[in-house]
Amino acid sequence: MPYVFIAPNMLIFLTFIIWPAIRGVYISFFDSIDGRNFDYVGTANYSSIFGDPTVASVARNTATYVVFYVIISTVLSLMFALVVNEQKFAKGFFRAILFLPVMLSPVVVGLIWNDVLDRKVGPLNALLEAAGGGSPGWMVEPKLGMIAVIFVGVWVHLGFYSIILLAGLQGIDKSLLEAAAMDGATRIQIIRLIILPLLKPTTLVIVILSTIHGFQSFDFIYTLTGGGPLGATTLIVQYIYDRAFQSPIQYGLGSAAGVILFLIIFAFTALNFLVGKKKNAL
Amino acid sequence: MSKLTVTKPKSTWTSASNRKVPTAGSIFRTTFLLMMTFIVLAPITWFVLSSFKDLTDLSARPPKLFPSRWAFENYSEAFNAYNYTRYFFNSVFVTTVATFLTLLINSMAAYAFAKYNFRGRDGLFVMTLAMIMIPLQVILIPIYLVVASLGLVNTYWGMIIPAAATPTGVFILRQYMLTIPDELIESARIDGAGEFRIFARIVLPLCRPALAVVAIFSILWRWNDFIWPLLIAQREELYTLPVALALLNGQLVVPYNVVLAMSVMSIIPVLFMFIFMQRQIIQGIAQTGMK
Repeated sequence: MPYVFIAPNMLIFLTFIIWPAIRGVYISFFDSIDGRNFDYVGTANYSSIFGDPTVASVARNTATYVVFYVIISTVLSLMFALVVNEQKFAKGFFRAILFLPVMLSPVVVGLIWNDVLDRKVGPLNALLEAAGGGSPGWMVEPKLGMIAVIFVGVWVHLGFYSIILLAGLQGIDKSLLEAAAMDGATRIQIIRLIILPLLKPTTLVIVILSTIHGFQSFDFIYTLTGGGPLGATTLIVQYIYDRAFQSPIQYGLGSAAGVILFLIIFAFTALNFLVGKKKNAL
Repeated sequence: MSKLTVTKPKSTWTSASNRKVPTAGSIFRTTFLLMMTFIVLAPITWFVLSSFKDLTDLSARPPKLFPSRWAFENYSEAFNAYNYTRYFFNSVFVTTVATFLTLLINSMAAYAFAKYNFRGRDGLFVMTLAMIMIPLQVILIPIYLVVASLGLVNTYWGMIIPAAATPTGVFILRQYMLTIPDELIESARIDGAGEFRIFARIVLPLCRPALAVVAIFSILWRWNDFIWPLLIAQREELYTLPVALALLNGQLVVPYNVVLAMSVMSIIPVLFMFIFMQRQIIQGIAQTGMK
């Protein structure tokens, strides 16, 4: 009887996750331009991933994006959580506002910022021009494109990470804080010496989660920059997508990139699990 | 927190609420929060206002905050000249059916994991959780090939079924079902109720709060999902809203003002959900750390 209950779920897992995952590893040793005829190429896909200049630039872009995205997200969501936690007035309002972008479709988020960052008719450049700052080509210059993508990535997810940190803050024993206050500790001291150390496990969860999210980023970038300018914001997931749907179509190479992405995500998920276990044990 | 507690040391944690003179800390706090509010709301507001501008206003330099003429025709054109109704229907259909399917099969699996002892239970449960580690992006190409070989490309089922079994949903529901006393199920069995009847009539109604959380997350995710329907819906009549918006935006023949109007309309249902379900959404994230 229990097998009947789990059967539909397991069938889907087997057909649409486990089987494709195995196929993916297999395909990564082949070359195919149509998904039907496969030529065995050994580890050539993997060596070209580490040798090919296009892939090297995708790897560089992804690394740049993830590093800045993780650092900025963690610092800002920590700041926001600490500030909101102390806020008495309109606490729920601020929390809700920051959370709003999480609810939006990433496709629409890309369109919103594409509108705002437009070189000629966007409001940001209008403000910058009024302030004498020129009109930077956010979607035209590779470096600025990357900055825009990192900024929007943070903008989307900040509310999500803050919620988790706020929950972590709720878990801190209030009597500890009151005792410190009685002993004359200032608020800065309390935050630095009591709250931040106690919040460390939750902060680590944020670092790990944002790393995983960072590596998976795709959809808002698709409508924000489309991976441009000049491929400067093409990250690994878009690269995988492109190998199946944009020329040159290379299923094997895309699958190999998928395998590598899996290894990265696997490592961080395992780390997250270990941290979570430690956190619960405390 | 009366105003008589003047004996307390001045700058402490607890005295924050009964201070009259703003301190450096509270000025910093308020400024920071107002800045964040501005950074979140300003672009969204600009975007919504843009959706009411005609093409002349949209290309005005310097840009205007308010439209010089409110171009409501952007919205009517979305319906009349473009297939907004179709995309909207597709999104509603995929979201609804997928959410029902997810609730059904996830709760069935969760019930087996929570209330039955069977060979391989723990192994299968660990396997279910391990599915979190294989996100769609990682197996994009092979899963597309599998779906294609099953003839599910360009079908609603192709969009709905492959992602309907969610590890998170099973986990949330199983944890909740563990709290249902076994005696309840036993006594129903003694009364002669069949296994499916017990599940449908006793267990599911008791799981309503957990089902609500899973449903909310499924709806939000399906409504906003882009990459999966992008792969499967390659024919225009199957586009969901995100796919339609992304692909129309890339086409030069579609006026940008219509894309704006469609985008604004597509976020309205989600906004309503956020307003009414905020507490459940925020609690759900705080508890599971998942979207």
